[in-house]
Amino acid sequence: MAEMVKLFVNGQEVEVESGKNLIDAVSAVGIEIPHLCYHPALGADGNCRMCLVGIEDGRPPLVPACKTPAAEGMKVQLDAEHIKKIQRDVMELELINHPTDCPICDQAGECSLQDYYMKYDGQESRMTVPQVKKGKKLDFGCGVVHDQERCVVCGRCVRFTREITKTGELGIVNRTDAARVNIFPGQPLNNRYALNVVDLCPVGAMTSTDFRFKQRVWFLSKEKGICHGCSKGCNIFIDHNREKYKDEVIYRFRPRLNEEVNGYFICDEGRMTYKWENDQRLITPRANGSEAIKSAAVDSLRNAISQASKAVFLVSPSSSLEQQFAVKAFAEQAGATVLGFSDGYIKAGDGDDYLIQDDKAANRAGLALLGIDATREAFEAAMAEADLLVSFDNALGCSYDQDGLAKVLGSCTLAVIATNSDSLSEQATIAIPTASYSEYSGSIINCDNILQAFARAVVKNDPPEDIVEIVNRLGGELENNQQVWAALKKAVPTLAEVEPEQIPEQGLALTS
Amino acid sequence: MSIKVKTIVRQGKSLQERLYLIEVFKGMAVTFRHFLRNFLDNSKLYVRHYPEVKPEITPRWRGRHRLTTHEDGSMKCVACFMCQTNCPAKCIQIEAGERTDGRTEKVPVKFDIDLLECIYCGYCVEACPKDAIRMDTGIFSVTGYKRESMLMTMDDLLATKGAFSEEEYKKGGA
Repeated sequence: MAEMVKLFVNGQEVEVESGKNLIDAVSAVGIEIPHLCYHPALGADGNCRMCLVGIEDGRPPLVPACKTPAAEGMKVQLDAEHIKKIQRDVMELELINHPTDCPICDQAGECSLQDYYMKYDGQESRMTVPQVKKGKKLDFGCGVVHDQERCVVCGRCVRFTREITKTGELGIVNRTDAARVNIFPGQPLNNRYALNVVDLCPVGAMTSTDFRFKQRVWFLSKEKGICHGCSKGCNIFIDHNREKYKDEVIYRFRPRLNEEVNGYFICDEGRMTYKWENDQRLITPRANGSEAIKSAAVDSLRNAISQASKAVFLVSPSSSLEQQFAVKAFAEQAGATVLGFSDGYIKAGDGDDYLIQDDKAANRAGLALLGIDATREAFEAAMAEADLLVSFDNALGCSYDQDGLAKVLGSCTLAVIATNSDSLSEQATIAIPTASYSEYSGSIINCDNILQAFARAVVKNDPPEDIVEIVNRLGGELENNQQVWAALKKAVPTLAEVEPEQIPEQGLALTS
Repeated sequence: MSIKVKTIVRQGKSLQERLYLIEVFKGMAVTFRHFLRNFLDNSKLYVRHYPEVKPEITPRWRGRHRLTTHEDGSMKCVACFMCQTNCPAKCIQIEAGERTDGRTEKVPVKFDIDLLECIYCGYCVEACPKDAIRMDTGIFSVTGYKRESMLMTMDDLLATKGAFSEEEYKKGGA
């Protein structure tokens, strides 16, 4: 616990953490100091002057809150008349050349400038001269569109490319009202975290081509989730909406702060994985190679398992710990071999030293913890004598090419429980659609051995079943995640002390 | 007694009235007088000859919707979704796309109003920052043979013209 200091905000005594700047310190107790250029990940720049606060009896009496550390006994003025005038004046300055095209701006609804205008400004424009015209709809590359007129030149995006990605594609050119953010000629944004500038931008100057005009942000429900794009397990917001007469659609992923895992940002590939939650989903169940209703497909798989002389259950390294354990428990009960072969998920050399990992599976550490063998040798040895392969959402198609897959399958019957429709699910005799990670709750262990829990974010009109439920319907004994956890705590010593409901927001670092 | 009491004289007690038949003929005489008068000259009828004669609609009347255009014929709507957000009946469905005529950046590619769901409250008109949607078509009778025909698409809404001059509309309080 950090040292606490007592200070006064508007005459009211508050206790805040020392060592932090005033914006962060007092926001922890629910007091907002308006700011545009300051961002905790990028540090204080002090260029927007929106966070100027008065310090009673202080020298100097007026300081930028982002650059002032909280100190004992400080008397911070936020609602004094001269501070309100400063905020109004800064807002007026920012809005001189702002096009105020909120009706067509994607940021409207989550825009600092808009919020601060309503809260701190609220005055009519006094401008009588024409506004400065700047570039609009500039393609900055990596799916980022820039509108120079909306820009307040806070420099967050510029600092992001310099400090975080260290690629430095962006810069501010010219001065005064001709100042604008731009790329160097012929050198667009070229890094794998570029779309974070869209989130960073406090106004609508940076927008994403992918999300552009898709939805107004106030229609979106924002649920917490965890990205399953790689083994990092970055924390995200899943922004989704059900339009009238339609099904739930996820429109975007946004990063969610978790100091222990991903900090403030996520990578662009991970951000785009939301598309897999919407598109190419396996919808129609199949039994005996033709379309069937779900219960028929489940029945036919149950029969196939009971009749098989040697069955192989292939779990996915991206499935939750609960699902992997439920499949493993069912395999022991049904006398099947449970394996986790998934070499195709690993893209060697794709990772970097920041967030992106080589391993594109979200919970490979879970496989190791449960003692599920994931080697190629074990899988091919088991397949040589097996007559039934049940894939529990394992994208086996990416571990083999078409010929290799046919060879390894041989005459074996293929059953697939999958979220998405792919070549594997198309050639399967039995196919059962299942819920994807935005549609179930569970827990995963990331590459740094941090256990994170996530809740169900999206409920479709016709919600597909979670693997745990499907396994239960196939004859498994564990009915739900609570029962799985009770068994899991007994079976795995590392998790013996873990309470699934009490896994903290930042995740739980497992020690084993 | 503080309450004012008025005693009503009961009718129908006299012999002539109790005979009933005389009163029937008196009544029929009134009916036939009206029938003959209207039969010979129906311009004196006390009701409006709807639908041949339409009522006069004031510019403030909230009729069927339309989407307005600039003088060059391009749509005023910028797909800001304010009407859809404000609609209490949730009868407006918009999809936005890129605008290519150089005016702004955004334009609706789909703008549907389901008239079966619309409650004609006029909140969409009030919410519109661009004066792009109005209910000044003067169309008050909205009928159809099929449910689908009650769905106004963007083309239908653009094709309908306003029934009032700009001056009259503004005077109506818009």
